[in-house]
Amino acid sequence: SWKAGLDWTLGKTSLHIFKQLLCCLQWYTPEACLQFKDHFQAQVRSACHQRNTGTVGLKISKVVVVGDLFVGKTSLINRFCKDIFDRDYKATIGVDFEIERFEIAGVPYNLQIWDTAGQEKFKCIASAYYRGAEVIVTVFDLADIQTLDHTKQWLEDALRENEPGSSFIFLVGTKKDLVSGATCERTERDAIRFASEMQAEYWSVSAKTGENVKEFFSRVAALAFERSMLKELEKSNGRMAQIGAGNLIKLEGNSLDAPESNSQASLSCC
Amino acid sequence: MAAAAGLALRTAGADGSSSCLSMERIRALTDLRELEAAYGCLCAEEKVVEEELEALLEQQGTIENKMVALHRMGPNLQLIEGDTRQLAGMITFTWNLAENVSSKVRQLDLAKNRLYQAIQRADDILDLKFCMDGVQTALRNEDYEQAAAHIHRYLSLDKSVIELSRQGKEGSIIDANLKLLQEAEQRLKTIVTEKFDIAMKQGDLPQVERFFKIFPLLGLHEEGLSKFSEYLCKQVANKAEENLLLVMGTDMSDRRAAVIFADTLTLLFEGIARIVETHQPIVETYYGLGRLYTLIKHLQVECDRQVENVVDKFIKQRDYHRQFQQVQNSMMRSSATEKIEPRELDPILTEVTLMNARSELYLRFIKRRIISDFEVGDSMASEEVKQEHQKYLDKLLNNCLLSRTMQELIGYYITMEEYFMRETVNKAVAMDTYEKGQLISSMVDDVFYIVKKCIGRALSSSSIDCLCAMINHSTTELESNFREVLYNKLKLGFPATTFQDFQRGVTSAVNIMHSSLQQGKFDTKGIESTDEAKQSFLVTLNNVEVCSENIMTLKKTLESDCSKLLSQGFGGEQAQAKIDSCLSDMAAVSNKFRDLLQEGLNELNSSAIKPQVKPWINLFLSVSHNIEEEEFNDYEANDPWVQQFIVNLEQQMAEFKAGLSPVIYDSLTSLMTSLVAVELEKVVLKSTFSRLGGLQFDKELRSLVAYLTTVTTWTIRDKFARLSQMATILNLERVTEILDYWGPNSGPLTWRLTPAEVRQVLALRIDFRSEDIKRLRL
Repeated sequence: SWKAGLDWTLGKTSLHIFKQLLCCLQWYTPEACLQFKDHFQAQVRSACHQRNTGTVGLKISKVVVVGDLFVGKTSLINRFCKDIFDRDYKATIGVDFEIERFEIAGVPYNLQIWDTAGQEKFKCIASAYYRGAEVIVTVFDLADIQTLDHTKQWLEDALRENEPGSSFIFLVGTKKDLVSGATCERTERDAIRFASEMQAEYWSVSAKTGENVKEFFSRVAALAFERSMLKELEKSNGRMAQIGAGNLIKLEGNSLDAPESNSQASLSCC
Repeated sequence: MAAAAGLALRTAGADGSSSCLSMERIRALTDLRELEAAYGCLCAEEKVVEEELEALLEQQGTIENKMVALHRMGPNLQLIEGDTRQLAGMITFTWNLAENVSSKVRQLDLAKNRLYQAIQRADDILDLKFCMDGVQTALRNEDYEQAAAHIHRYLSLDKSVIELSRQGKEGSIIDANLKLLQEAEQRLKTIVTEKFDIAMKQGDLPQVERFFKIFPLLGLHEEGLSKFSEYLCKQVANKAEENLLLVMGTDMSDRRAAVIFADTLTLLFEGIARIVETHQPIVETYYGLGRLYTLIKHLQVECDRQVENVVDKFIKQRDYHRQFQQVQNSMMRSSATEKIEPRELDPILTEVTLMNARSELYLRFIKRRIISDFEVGDSMASEEVKQEHQKYLDKLLNNCLLSRTMQELIGYYITMEEYFMRETVNKAVAMDTYEKGQLISSMVDDVFYIVKKCIGRALSSSSIDCLCAMINHSTTELESNFREVLYNKLKLGFPATTFQDFQRGVTSAVNIMHSSLQQGKFDTKGIESTDEAKQSFLVTLNNVEVCSENIMTLKKTLESDCSKLLSQGFGGEQAQAKIDSCLSDMAAVSNKFRDLLQEGLNELNSSAIKPQVKPWINLFLSVSHNIEEEEFNDYEANDPWVQQFIVNLEQQMAEFKAGLSPVIYDSLTSLMTSLVAVELEKVVLKSTFSRLGGLQFDKELRSLVAYLTTVTTWTIRDKFARLSQMATILNLERVTEILDYWGPNSGPLTWRLTPAEVRQVLALRIDFRSEDIKRLRL
C-alpha cells in the first residue's frame, strides 16, 4: 500500500516526503484511473537516484481546481494544505493560491494549487488562471448531482486555455460524509462514466472527515512529478543532441515541424 | 652523585619529621666524600632540631601563666550561668505579653476595617442619595452631562453594597431612592436618545456630539456608536447624493468627464476617511480603545449603499454590461463586421481600474486604522480575542459589498482588456511595416507597447489578482497568437531566388520564363517579390530575437513594479507567490521564442545556404588534385577553386550580414561553417590526390580556415579538425610516416579520425600502395 512509502509530517507547514521511488501511485478506482503502474518509469527513477534531476531550480507543477460554487474546492485544499475544516461558507473571490512542498525520492518538488471562484460572476478573472495547468481538478458535490453535470463545462473551459494532452485531469466528488453508502455508490457510478469520457481519474473524498484527501493529493503530486521529470529529461536529451555535430546533416525536410510533433507524441504517452 | 644526594635531601626536607638520610642509605655509603657530605648534612639537621626545642621551652612560662588565669575565671562563669537563666525567663514572659497585645491590635484592625467599610457604605448610600438628588436637579436644569455623571457614579457603585444596604434598617428608604434612581436612569436614557434624534434631524453637530459623549456614561456604548454612526452615515449619504447629482449633470466636455465615476468614488471614500480621522479621537476618549471597528462597520454599510448607487449609475451611463456583452460576442465571432472597436473601450477600461485602485486605497486605509486600534485595545487580551477580532476585520473587508462589486467590475474588465489587447495586437500585426535599414519591423515595438499598456493598466488597479490575470493573458497572447504569426512567416521559408537561378545558368532562367508564360502571366516583379520574401524572412528572424529579449525586459520591469506595489501594503499573504508564478510563466515564453529562432536559422541554413554552398564545394571535384610540379605552379598563379569559393561565400553572407542582427548572424555563420566542413569532407573523400595534390589541398584548406576565422567570432578550428587531419595525411611522404603522428607519437594531437578513416584517406593518395596501407598497424 502507498502508506508504506509515505511519511507525513504533521503541522501547518508540512513537507510531504515520499521516501522511496516505488510509492504512492495508488489510484482510487481502476475503472477511472490514469495509470496502473506502481512504479515511476525507469529513467525517472534512475534520474532521481543519481540526483540527475536536470537543470535549474525547483520543479513546480501548477494545479488548477475548478467546479461549481459551494462544492467544496476551498475546503478540499484547506484540508490538505492546512489540515483545517471551516464550517462557515465563504465564497472564494477571484483566485486563492497555496504552495505545498513535497520531497519525492529525495527531489524537492512543489505543487502550486490555484483555487478558483465557482461563482459565475467571477469566472472572467478565474479563467485567466487556467493556462499552463499541469493538473486540472474538476470538483463536484456528491450530494448534488447537478454539479456533476456541470463538470464537463468547467473542464472544457479549462482545457481551452491549455495545449491538448498537456494536463492530467481529475474528477473529484466531495462531501462524501454527507451521502449514504447507497447514494454514494450510485453517484460514483455516474461519475466514473463521466470520468472515462473526460479521460480523467476519479476520486471520492471528504474534506470534513479528511477521507482520501491526502491520498488524492499524493496521487496528483506523484503523477505530476513523474511527468515533469520526464519532460525535463527529454529536454536535456534534446539539448545534448543539438550539440553533437551529426545534427546538421539531418536538416532536410520540414525541420520546423519536427520538434513540435515529437514532444506532442511523448506528452500523450500516458 | 652529588645531584642524587641533593635530590635525597630535598625529599627529606619535604618530609620534615624524619631525618634527611635513612639509616640504610647511611650504611650503604662507602665513599669518604659522600660520608662527609652526609655527616655535614646530619650536623645541620641537629642544629635545627635543637633550635626548635629551645623555642618550645621558652614558651613554657607563658603557658603556665595562662593556666593560672583560667583557674581564676571558674567561679565567675557560674555567676554568668545564673544570670543567663534569669534573662531567658524574662524574654519568655515578654514574648507572651507581646503576643497578647498583638492579638488585641489585630482585633482593633479588623474593627477599623469594618468601620471603614461601614463609612464607605454610608458614603455610598449618601452618594446614592446625592446622585438621586443630583440627577433630579440636573434633569430639572437640563444639565444632562451632570445627570449622566450621577448615573455613571451610580452604575459604578458596587451592586452588592447596594443590595446589602437594602437589607439594612433603612432598607425601605434606600429602596425608594434606588427606584427613583433607576427611573431617572431610564428617563435620562430616553431623553438623551430623543434629544440625540432631534439634534440629528436638525443636523446640529454640537448637540449630536454632546449627546454622543453621554451614551457611554449610561453604559450604552453600542447604542451610542450606532446612533452616532447613523448620524455620520446620513452626512455621508447627503454628500454622496449631492455628488452623484453633480455627476449626472456633468458636461461631457469636462476635463474629468472620462473618469467622473472614479472621481465620485474618490470623493465618497475621502469623505468617509475624513469622518474617521475627525471622530476617532472622540470615540477613543469617550468610548475607549478598540471601538473603532464598530464605528467603521456601521459606516461601511452606508459606504456600500453609496458605492452601489455610484456603480449602478456607472454601469448605466457607460453601458458597461452591454459593452461587455459586445466584447464577449466579438470574441466568439470572427467576422469583422460586428466587432466592437477596441479603441472605444480605452476610456472605460482606464476608469474601471481607477475605480478599483481608489477602492483598494480606501480599504487599505480602514484596514490599517482598525488594526492599530485593535492592537492598542487588545494589548492585554488573550490570543483568542485577538484572532476573533482579526476574523471580524477580514469578514468586514472581504464581504463588504464594495469589495464584491469591485471584484465583479474587475472580472468584466479583464475580459474586455483581454479583448482590447488581442484586437490591438492583431491590428499592429496587420499594419506591420518595415523600413529599409531597420532590422525589425514595426509590429514588434507596437505589440510590446500594447502588452505593456494593458498590463500597466491592470497594475494601476492595485489589484494583484487582476494584474496576475492580465499577465497570464499577455503570456498567452505572446505565446500563442503572436508567436504563431511569426511562426507562420518563418514557415513560408526563405525563397531560392531567380537571381541565383540566373547565376546557375541561362537554361534554368529560360525554364522559369517558360513556366511563367505557361501559367499565363509573366511576372516582371518576380525578382522584386522574392527579394521581399527574403527580407521578410530575415526581418522575422530579427523580430523573434527581439521578442525574446523584450519579454525578459518586461518581466524585470514588472518585478520591480510589483515589489513597489507590495511594499505599499497592497495584496494578501500569497500575493508575492502569485506574481512570481505568473512572471515565471512569462519568462518561459521567452525561451519559446529562442527555440523558434533556432528553428528559423536551421531553415535558413538548409534552404538558402546549403543549396548554394553545396554546388560551390562540388566544384572541388572538377579540379584535379592528381597533379605534377607544372600544374602545381600553374594553380599557384591561377587559383582553381578556393579563392572563388571564398568570394562566393562572402557575397552570400554579405546579404545576411546586412539583414540580420549581429547575434543571429553569428549563429548563422556558425551553422554555415559547420555545413562547409561537412560538405567539404564529403568531396575530399571522393577525390584522388598526388603528393603535390595533397599539398595543394593543404594550402586550400588553410586559406579557407583563415577566411572563415575572420567572419566568425567563435573559434572554428574544432569544426575543421577532421579536415586538417585529413590534409596532414594527404601530405605524408610515405604511408608509414603516419606512425610518427599516431598512437604514442600523437603528442598534443587528438585524432578525430578513426583508424578505418585514416586508411580511407591514405587510399586517396594514388601513389600509396594499398598493400602498404593494409599492412599498417593502427
